[in-house]
Amino acid sequence: MIPTPALEIVVLVWGLVLLLAEAFVDKLDKRVFAIAGIVGLVAVLLGSFFLAPPPPAASTGFWSFYTADPLAIFFKRFALATTIFILIMAIDYAPAIRMGVPGANPQAGLGEFFALPIFTCAGLMWMASAIDFVMIFVSLELVTMSFYVLVTFTRRNPATLEAGVKYLILSALSTGFLVYGITWIFGVTGETNLARIGAVLARQDFDHVPLLFGFALVLVALGFKIAAVPFQIWVPDVYQGAPTPVTAFLSVGSKAAGFVVLLRVLGPFSILPQVGKLLVVIAALTLIYGNFAALPQTNLKRLLAYSSIAHAGYLLIGVVCFAGTAVAFYLVGYLLMTLLCFAVVVLVAADGGEQIEDYSGLVRRSPFLAGAMLVGMVSLAGIPFTAGFLGKFFIFDAAIRQGQTLLVVIGVITVGCGFYYYLKVIRAMFWLPPPNDAPVIQISPLSRGAIGLLIAGIFVFGVYPQPILNALNPPAPVAVTAGR
Amino acid sequence: MVTLGDYLFVSGLLFTIGFAGVLLRRNIIIIFMSLELMLNAANLSLVAFSRFRTDSLGLPNYHAQVFVFFIITVAAAEVAVGLAVIVALYRARRTIHVEDISTLKY
Repeated sequence: MIPTPALEIVVLVWGLVLLLAEAFVDKLDKRVFAIAGIVGLVAVLLGSFFLAPPPPAASTGFWSFYTADPLAIFFKRFALATTIFILIMAIDYAPAIRMGVPGANPQAGLGEFFALPIFTCAGLMWMASAIDFVMIFVSLELVTMSFYVLVTFTRRNPATLEAGVKYLILSALSTGFLVYGITWIFGVTGETNLARIGAVLARQDFDHVPLLFGFALVLVALGFKIAAVPFQIWVPDVYQGAPTPVTAFLSVGSKAAGFVVLLRVLGPFSILPQVGKLLVVIAALTLIYGNFAALPQTNLKRLLAYSSIAHAGYLLIGVVCFAGTAVAFYLVGYLLMTLLCFAVVVLVAADGGEQIEDYSGLVRRSPFLAGAMLVGMVSLAGIPFTAGFLGKFFIFDAAIRQGQTLLVVIGVITVGCGFYYYLKVIRAMFWLPPPNDAPVIQISPLSRGAIGLLIAGIFVFGVYPQPILNALNPPAPVAVTAGR
Repeated sequence: MVTLGDYLFVSGLLFTIGFAGVLLRRNIIIIFMSLELMLNAANLSLVAFSRFRTDSLGLPNYHAQVFVFFIITVAAAEVAVGLAVIVALYRARRTIHVEDISTLKY
């Protein structure tokens, strides 16, 4: 039996070991470190199924900062699985790293590029467990800071540098809002622990205006993480400019962790009547903006960026309804299909580009990749028998039960909008002729296996969602509030 | 006698100056400095809240003071990484003005 906090410690130590070992080994092919990272994370993922039951929640000490409830365990596994797929993608991306990092050594930068996602993973796992604002702040910053480096990694590429600087400034700005918001919440309640804040709020003897001010600032910071409108301005530029595996990591890992924290923070604050209305407005704006701005895009990474904003909108519908299980299932489907699309983008971009026209006739160059992209796109669009459809189904189901008709109507209209831009990619792949000199794309067995696994996952969870729903059963404290 | 309100006013002023600096200034180093100002505004009001929220024994609420140490540490790490990114930008572009970095446009 393993105590839960050991998971993060093992991940962190393994990352440090790899980073140190990398510094002293020059001759070896650095891709060995990616494999070692994958093996380590798989071991931790397996270890997460043999956890010792957590002690009852305490009001002081370590367990007042850290929880090991089913929601936390679920998102720890989520973070580990994401990072494993990101490292597999990073191996395929290695040639682009070599071109993008200055240095006399032809392998300069590779080892760090494989080690940094492991630190991000530790941060994401701590975020999943954080139930105190101090812990939320520190783990969020660990994630953000490792992303500063990762986003800017291929610094010979001017677009990447620009994306990195934009991410740096806007992310630091959101940190400023988060900290100042927490300050005001502390000033009103005198607590940083979410459960104790909830106890204070339940007594109803506090000053509403400063508390709402503080909560709004925290919401701005979390809205930045999950890419909700109007805090999404960084998303298209950063997603387009960052190295592709990092873009995938941002759009899955960072967003999922942001949603866990949002669900946890909303727990105590949901008794304020203004909070629900505010979230409905943000969800509606996010859905409309994400879907309509995606329509004219010609760069596939930018298209996926707007699509990720749109998906944040669907997830926010789930958050508005406090449907923790529906949000978790949607995020799993989102992980599978987004990572699948980005894995194909990495492989195709190796000898093509990232514009949609570069995907013309992909089916002749690599039927496997075209098939994978087809599955990813139809799942993102939400066609039945895929995980994407079932995710939207659970979210809309929860919304109808809670009487959020307006959001359901906007949601259904924007899904229709989504069909147009996702099918635009499919049309390019299957109906347009390939460029004459386009080579056949080579795929390594590891990537082929990973892509196969993601496709299988999309179809399995598309018809048999039970394993995910049971993983959160007995329901997490967040999910319990759904029955109010 | 300095009251809690005075501290909160100064802290709010610092936060506003910082935010205005981020929005209005064009030099990335200055923008970055303004961001640090925003974090320090939070530090000031946290310490003020801590001092003025005494418990039955007259001791301050130490949660906030511990949080301040975390904020200072994280801000230092952020500066280290952030300045490295800005230096890399300057080496590649020979500029640190935000108007000059706009190749990624729709």
